[in-house]
Amino acid sequence: MSSDTQTQHDVQEILRLGQQRMARVMPDTDWQSATRKRGTAGVATMARPDRKQEAWRYTPLGFLDQAEFQPIVEGPFDALQLSDIDDLMLTDPPRIRLVFVNGYLASGLCAMAKSADGVTLSSLAGGLGEVPAMLRQQLDAIAEHNHVFAALNSALMSDGALIHLAAGVHLDGPIEILHVSVGLEQPGICHPRHLIVLEDGARAEVIERYCGLGDGAYFTNALIEVSLGSDSELLHQRMQEESPHAQHLSDLQVHLGARSLYRLTLAALGGAWSRNDVRVTFGGEGATAELDGLMLARDRQFNDVHLDVRHEVPHCTSRETFKGILDGSGRVVFDGHIVVARDAQKTDAVLSNRNLMLARSAEVDTKPQLEIYADDVKCSHGTTVGELDPDMLFYLRSRGIPADQAKQMLCQGFAQEVFDTMASQALRARAGQLLASRLLTSTPEQGER
Amino acid sequence: MSSTSKQVDALVERGYEHGFVTDIETDVIPPGLDEDVIRFISQRKQEPEWVLEYRLKAFRHWLGMTPPVWSSVHYPQIDFQAISYFAAPTKKPVLESLDQVDPELLRTYEKLGIPLEEQKALSGVAVDAVFDSVSVATTFRKNLADAGVIFCSISEAAREHPELLREYLGSVVPHTDNFYAALNAAVFTDGTFVYIPRGVRCPMELSTYFRINAQNTGQFERTLIVAEEGSHVSYLEGCTAPQRDENQLHAAVVELVAMQDAQIKYSTVQNWYPGDAQGKGGIYNFVTKRGDCRGARSKISWTQVETGSAITWKYPSCLLRGDDSVGEFYSVAVTKGHQQADTGTKMIHLGRNTRSTIVSKGISAGDGQQAYRGLVRMAQRAENARNHTQCDSLLIGDRCAAHTFPYIEVKNPTAKVEHEATTSKIGDDQLFYCRSRGLSEEDAVSLIVNGFCKEIFNELPMEFAVEAQKLLAISLEGAVG
Repeated sequence: MSSDTQTQHDVQEILRLGQQRMARVMPDTDWQSATRKRGTAGVATMARPDRKQEAWRYTPLGFLDQAEFQPIVEGPFDALQLSDIDDLMLTDPPRIRLVFVNGYLASGLCAMAKSADGVTLSSLAGGLGEVPAMLRQQLDAIAEHNHVFAALNSALMSDGALIHLAAGVHLDGPIEILHVSVGLEQPGICHPRHLIVLEDGARAEVIERYCGLGDGAYFTNALIEVSLGSDSELLHQRMQEESPHAQHLSDLQVHLGARSLYRLTLAALGGAWSRNDVRVTFGGEGATAELDGLMLARDRQFNDVHLDVRHEVPHCTSRETFKGILDGSGRVVFDGHIVVARDAQKTDAVLSNRNLMLARSAEVDTKPQLEIYADDVKCSHGTTVGELDPDMLFYLRSRGIPADQAKQMLCQGFAQEVFDTMASQALRARAGQLLASRLLTSTPEQGER
Repeated sequence: MSSTSKQVDALVERGYEHGFVTDIETDVIPPGLDEDVIRFISQRKQEPEWVLEYRLKAFRHWLGMTPPVWSSVHYPQIDFQAISYFAAPTKKPVLESLDQVDPELLRTYEKLGIPLEEQKALSGVAVDAVFDSVSVATTFRKNLADAGVIFCSISEAAREHPELLREYLGSVVPHTDNFYAALNAAVFTDGTFVYIPRGVRCPMELSTYFRINAQNTGQFERTLIVAEEGSHVSYLEGCTAPQRDENQLHAAVVELVAMQDAQIKYSTVQNWYPGDAQGKGGIYNFVTKRGDCRGARSKISWTQVETGSAITWKYPSCLLRGDDSVGEFYSVAVTKGHQQADTGTKMIHLGRNTRSTIVSKGISAGDGQQAYRGLVRMAQRAENARNHTQCDSLLIGDRCAAHTFPYIEVKNPTAKVEHEATTSKIGDDQLFYCRSRGLSEEDAVSLIVNGFCKEIFNELPMEFAVEAQKLLAISLEGAVG
């Protein structure tokens, strides 16, 4: 019942082209070959997702038929100057910054302040020197191929940041991973692959950003593995500000050790089509995950977040707060799946999804799910969909604030709860500005009430 | 309802059984399903030609379908050729007195508070001839006829009200709707037709107790209720007493049509055989229920208490087409032992200012598996539509499971949708409080659970609500401690 051979073909075609070029350009690094093989095998066995598959029920993949995505195999963008990406920089740039251009490390743009002992930074393609054994072993350790694109990433992974913190190391200040995509003549596809490993008791802050330079069309297919040891702590801030014609798919897979703390803030603001899969697995007791996210969809933007939180062990806590803002003919899809395994007693999970619809032609499809196999648990989820409170609008307008601005203020306030969970002040400010500017530029519809 | 009228109800049902069983005993056909079987059914039911055509069309469509597999219920594959599609229910031997009845069953009746005469009726004991059930039934029938209400079996409707049946049969649940609805459309043998004329308020609660062809649990039951403009009807289905049935698969279809300003209230209490301790042999209850609010300001309300069956798989739904129409769904589902339930509702908001309320309470004990699965869809035209959904699950025991899968699709910004769900076990502090006041553990659990379900019981017709509360307490006996 899956798609016919012709539609299946495009994913296979991406794989074939990618492998062809990779063979020419990249020397096969032995330690990656197992991952690539597993990915190739996965692509061969997995069909392209379609609406019949529950996890892709609301996710349209029509764009795959419209463009032939060419593999981007090398980064011919060493020519890119720091000044070119000035607009993309945070006001208070982190002292450690890894910049990837079209999926490949651009060493000229990176900032590498001396970090504490026990912090290892490396890049998948070897741009920062030989990849240490401990990172090699961890690659692909927790990645699951939940869909064909994850397998595609494993088969064709281009480059990415590999971060390792030894036990007990506390990192001062954030590490920034900045992706810059430049549209090519032919829409390209790249497969960034990141790995973040925190050993027991380590603490770090990571900022991960995906930006577009110009408004080219391209497809980012990222996979991020995060492994947290016991008592470790990671503040993970992700911002998707891709170009308005880009497709962005990222699959974040997190494994939590005992008593670890994982805090994720996701701001998905850009792209024509965006899907973020987040899978968090509790592997040790007493761990906590706090996941917050904001999805913006305006003017035919499609913005999709799929959460899969797996409470496999007792005494873990998770909090999920995701908000959607819809304008124009934007569409938001939210799927929040929480599973509490048998015997994962004393689980405490609260999920909330709230959506603000500003326009007639927008659409929200939301599906919070609880799957519970243990009895001594506290789980709940709540969802709302609605428009701006007319009383609030009236209040602001009665104080002389124009309708557009009032609307924007209220949206800003709605989003602030999510942005406030970002540890980085500079990132918070940027998220706020981006949201404001995007809300302003969206065309008000005729006949709006 | 007073106990006398309960006795009457039981007797009405009982009395009918007598006349009916002998009548159809000769009609048993061997297992298997093909067009000849369908022709046979149609012929025995003396149906008009178009009904046969309808059945055949459904059957041909069904042949091209595969059983759905998306639910979270698990059961061995059903062999549809191993089912006899027109078998008279096995005639129960008439017993001399209650002494011959399974004492376990009697204890259950006792706890439910079922009056003695009714107990006899339910367990198949001969009853005093003083209660002339036939005349009682006739009285009811006369009352209904005076009001202009048509209340008869679906086969009778096919013969006597063909024009009405033809207009509405399959108009809410088409034969193409799903696998089991198609099967039902092909082979339905039993069921009820209710027609409430314009402006009429049905003078009594219609219940399958009263039904004129009281063969209670048809395997492929088909119910059709049409409420014309401004009319009002309340329909009760099922029974709190344990129902045993030889047929394992039940694939019923219920269609409700509410015209402008009409109101239909449909209440179900289901307590079919859940199977033995290992979950073997229980009923599979796969039902398609849908109501169509066709006119402005119409209202359809579903209330269900599901405690029986090995598998309950149904989603009573409302299609809110008329402006200002209202849909409601109130549900209590209990799963224990190895019972499974996948139930919920669909509220499809098409008209302006449509409103829907969903309150679902799931109680899972032992190895019970339970899922709420629901859809709320706000179409683009559904201006100012409103939905509130609340799904709560109560877990008793560490082997049970409770899931919530709500789907929410909104295409209109003025629509407001709220969904909330919680899952928890009975609070130790609540239990402790009750125990410290001298309640036994079982009574305490019963008290807490009944409080948990109160919102739903309030929606049931009074006499059902009382029985449902007791039923719940019995269902959960031994689940704690």
